[in-house]
Amino acid sequence: MTTAPPRPALVPKPTSRWARLRRRHGWLIVTAGFLLVLFFWRFSQLPKFGGFELRTITAGAMVVAFLGMGQAIVIISGGIDLALGAAMVFANCLSALWMKGQHTGMCFLLAIAVIAIGAAIGTIVGTTIVLSRVPDIVVTLAYLFVLSGAALLILNQPGGGTAQGFRSAVAGGLSQPLPSILWTVGVLSVLWMPLKRSTLGVKLYAIGGNRAAAYLAGVDVSRVRVVAYTLGGMFAGMAGVINTAYTGSGDPRSSIGLAATLSSIAAAVLGGVALTGGVGGLVGPVLAAVVLGLIPAIMLGEGVDPNLAQVVQGCVIIVVVMIGTWLAVKRRAT
Amino acid sequence: MSETVLQVRNLAKRYGPVVALRSVDLDIKRGEIHALLGANGAGKSTLVKILSGVAQADAGSIMLTGRSVRFRNPSQARAAGLATVFQEPALIGELTVRENLSLTHSDPYQVREALASFGVSDLQFDELVRDLPLFLLRLIDLAKQLVLSPRVLLLDELTAALPSDITERVFSVLREAVRAGQSILFISHRLAEVMELCDRCTVLRDGCNVETFEPRDGGEGRMVAAMLGTPPEQLTARESRVIHHTQEQVPLLDVKHLTVGPLRDVSFSVHKGEVVGLIALEGQGQDVLFAALAGEYRPSSGQIVVCGKPLSARGPADAIRQGLVLVPADRATALLPKRPIRENLTLPLYARFRSWGAIRWKAEKRRIEDVVRRLAIDARAGAAGRLSGGNQQKLTIGRWLASGFQVLLLFDPTRGIDIGTKRQLYVLIRDLAAAGAGILMFTSELREISLVADRVLVLYNGQIIEELPPDTDEETLLSACHGLEVAR
Repeated sequence: MTTAPPRPALVPKPTSRWARLRRRHGWLIVTAGFLLVLFFWRFSQLPKFGGFELRTITAGAMVVAFLGMGQAIVIISGGIDLALGAAMVFANCLSALWMKGQHTGMCFLLAIAVIAIGAAIGTIVGTTIVLSRVPDIVVTLAYLFVLSGAALLILNQPGGGTAQGFRSAVAGGLSQPLPSILWTVGVLSVLWMPLKRSTLGVKLYAIGGNRAAAYLAGVDVSRVRVVAYTLGGMFAGMAGVINTAYTGSGDPRSSIGLAATLSSIAAAVLGGVALTGGVGGLVGPVLAAVVLGLIPAIMLGEGVDPNLAQVVQGCVIIVVVMIGTWLAVKRRAT
Repeated sequence: MSETVLQVRNLAKRYGPVVALRSVDLDIKRGEIHALLGANGAGKSTLVKILSGVAQADAGSIMLTGRSVRFRNPSQARAAGLATVFQEPALIGELTVRENLSLTHSDPYQVREALASFGVSDLQFDELVRDLPLFLLRLIDLAKQLVLSPRVLLLDELTAALPSDITERVFSVLREAVRAGQSILFISHRLAEVMELCDRCTVLRDGCNVETFEPRDGGEGRMVAAMLGTPPEQLTARESRVIHHTQEQVPLLDVKHLTVGPLRDVSFSVHKGEVVGLIALEGQGQDVLFAALAGEYRPSSGQIVVCGKPLSARGPADAIRQGLVLVPADRATALLPKRPIRENLTLPLYARFRSWGAIRWKAEKRRIEDVVRRLAIDARAGAAGRLSGGNQQKLTIGRWLASGFQVLLLFDPTRGIDIGTKRQLYVLIRDLAAAGAGILMFTSELREISLVADRVLVLYNGQIIEELPPDTDEETLLSACHGLEVAR
């Protein structure tokens, strides 16, 4: 039987370039727009806007941005890590403990070591989840307590220190916004962009999007899940080191870890990462972290009670995610 | 003389107390297209799972080209040369075609060529998989596996979602692959296709292989007979009941031109005192039909009329309020397994919003005891989850007794239940009908439908294709389920 000519009516009309762009980056564009609006609002509030003001925004958001990136990777792969904030606190205390009295070069080496330890913690968490078959929420909740306790063990009250050179290099001097911006953009371009396009990146999205189909297609689901938690831990290590550079000390109080975890989830969700997995990226959470940081500053500038800041942050998250999800569902229904 | 490329011996698998495969032998020769046939529950899907690496056998051996193999996951099976096209496409909806191909390291050029041979030439690989129709996904999945040039290609109900002209092209591609030395294990309900395509076929029944023969040696009739086997112990037939209803009487349930999901223009009615049986092979749309009747899905077109009033349900709660209740197939989803029996029985009563006050157990006690006695539920086990399958099924039906209904929808109520409890259930169903309810029952137990139904509807490919009297023999019923023409 000779093959007949193909029937063009079989394949549905391909989605237009514009529609595809809008689908892939729609959320990001909206978040960036929102950020721009808030940015100019803040700009208009201040009598003068120079390096100091900009640095306050960017360096202040850095910790949440990096934690949000780590959480985003875990959520995209279909999991969640409640211990991420506590891992950050642990990394913060460990680096502050070790870096005290050291010179800048040594601090950088120690930073790399702490980040590696963060990744190792992530591997342990991920392996526990995969081997025990206990849901990730339960396992990471348990590790939240373990890591909070461990932080208190190594540093039982705020203390430690780091080299001034290290602080300026990572978080920038009081009027230098550039280091914080460069580090964040740098990590995104050097770590995330290549990962996203690599086979590992596709596998992360695959197991988050449809774990069963990924398994049938031959993906080693367990191994990729562990890698996701390892990467999350690595970012938590980075966030901890950045916190040491920003504050100049280590703070083991567990309340910080809990708040940080919630902020990381908020940043991820606001940045377009769906809690169901398989959707989103890392740029969104970074922008969302800055948005979340701007809200209390703007409120202070408007003379509104800054204690309302958290309420406003929560409302913003609900409204944005609600609209975003509603739009996504509407698109799917047509 | 072509050698055996896949040899399965004494394969066995059980899931807890359920024996899925008893002892299966299978031989597939090099360069042959071998069909695997069997009724629902015969063990086909378990065999596919084991061969594809998704599950592991409890006993038995698999030899692929003479080497003994044991697959721990699908990639091991593929690496050994056994590629499977699953019923559910192994593709991720949120990713593009290109990204899905990169997951399995499939060469896009080769996949494109393979798709062209099926007649699909202008597929953009940057499309998201979830925007593509199901048949295209199956073709992509098939192309991915063909590109691997596997020794054995396992096709699980491949043609179910394909339009017929594509199927022809796929067949010619498969024949070419087989001429080149590959082998194919073809699983299908479509006996006509098996006749057209396959060199040999093996029939599974009750977890064993019972016959292997060439399709032309006996035809579809032989296939159906082999799937059925010898009739089991005869259950005592019920006395024939004469249903008194005139044409003018308003039916309890009237389905008019229902179209939803895979169902097309389905129309039938259930009258007071009637038990209507529905039979079908797997995946012909019966679950969607019951879900739509129960209020879970909104139909695309058509109407469901209950006691003369059209059903407008935003969910099962509305359907229940109008008198349509569903006993689902999966007892696990129907019951609250950790709660005691009495809570399960009275749950529908308290499902309404108003009842938030204290539950007056003493007042309910009599009603509960009445139901328990009537159904002869063995109530020694405290929590519902500990009951035997049969008792659980009685419970799922029983709770509607406590709250009342008009139309009872039963989805495969006797699956996996022992013969004694089955008899009790059939008596109960007939009693309910005699008391004035209307009952629609989907069942996979063809041999028992005569005990309980007044008429039998056959669902095939989303349409009701036949209505048969309940005393029709099993062979004719099964043939009808396969879409074959039957003499009344």
